Amino acid sequence: MAEVVTLPLRQIGLAEPRLKALMVAGLDGDAAAYRDVLAALAQVLRPYFAQRLYSAAHDVEDLVQETLLAIHAKRHTYRRTELLTPWVFAIARYKLFNYFRRSRHRMTVSLDEAMGVDDPGNPEEGAIRQDVRRLLALLPGRQQRLMAKVKLEGQSIDEAARAEGMTEGAAKVALHRSMKTLSTRVDDED
Amino acid sequence: MRTEDLVEQLAAKAAPVGADGRSRWLSLALVAGGLVSLAVLVAWLGLRPLDAAAGQPAFWMKAGYSLALAVGGGLVVWRLAQPTGRVGRAPYLLAAALAAVGVMAMLQLMRAPEGAMPALVLGHTWKWCPFRILTLSLPLTLALGLALRRLAPTRLALAGGAAGVLAGGLAAAIYGLYCQETSAVFLAIWYTLGIAASGVLGALIGPRLMRW
Repeated sequence: MAEVVTLPLRQIGLAEPRLKALMVAGLDGDAAAYRDVLAALAQVLRPYFAQRLYSAAHDVEDLVQETLLAIHAKRHTYRRTELLTPWVFAIARYKLFNYFRRSRHRMTVSLDEAMGVDDPGNPEEGAIRQDVRRLLALLPGRQQRLMAKVKLEGQSIDEAARAEGMTEGAAKVALHRSMKTLSTRVDDED
Repeated sequence: MRTEDLVEQLAAKAAPVGADGRSRWLSLALVAGGLVSLAVLVAWLGLRPLDAAAGQPAFWMKAGYSLALAVGGGLVVWRLAQPTGRVGRAPYLLAAALAAVGVMAMLQLMRAPEGAMPALVLGHTWKWCPFRILTLSLPLTLALGLALRRLAPTRLALAGGAAGVLAGGLAAAIYGLYCQETSAVFLAIWYTLGIAASGVLGALIGPRLMRW
């Protein structure tokens, strides 16, 4: 069974020759060496991502796996005349950057979930509603009223539309636009 | 899936890997894209009489300038095709080519008789030249973008921009097989504009094409 090494980041420089030797052997077809180096790289990548991600641990592991897959897919671009670890971290940085880029789009979903909270037993309910009201205050009058009716008071879109003197279709468009405005505002605050 | 399992799966696929694939993919892209561009030129505008062209210094000036910019772009693409790639000194080559053409253009303007300037600057085809170069660059930019996707660029907008300049330079060289303009001033302005436009387009669509 291959030995799995835990490498603190500052010791990567020392480990480089061994990792590179394993990788080169792996690139020549040595499966055991290839497994060793991938396992070792996983140990190196995990703290790298953990330090840079403030979110749940499963995202860190996803990124580790994504990076290993990328290393495997692009191993033909590694030149044996260069060091291994800068090549690996360049790929890791690239995957991290793409992860942050993708996360920005997730903001609309979590906003929607936050807006949908209406469990009266939840002690956080009041605080969440306060925040939501503050957000809604950013919208123009009618959009604000529509959003409050549908999202906070739990009215159906049809009811809220009639109360505002709009058709249901127009109300749906207005709600969609409001959501977009709010998620852009939330994004900008990053 | 647990990472250990992933590692096992990947290790099972260990097989001897050839040398770095940059030359293979990039030359494939250039040949394929170049042939398409050439075909488009022939079908769309036709070729000028090439034996006469070969004797004309202006023909070689245009080809030289276009290819110099293409080489500059190509060097950057080559370097940026892998994760640790850095731009390097190729931009100096681009700057040198621009400067050389700029100097030739200045000299031409200074030596020109009164009233000849509009003809030197505008030629007969100034309205269409940059657009045609840009159009001819499209197959090359697309081919290069797809090739780079198989490689491992990490600075996508920059790589896209360099690929655009490479594509634009080659497209301009191909366009030179039709274009009858002879003025260095024309070359400095309108060819540069076409190649620059191709670079900008590459920088804009590069990330979309190349993301892996």
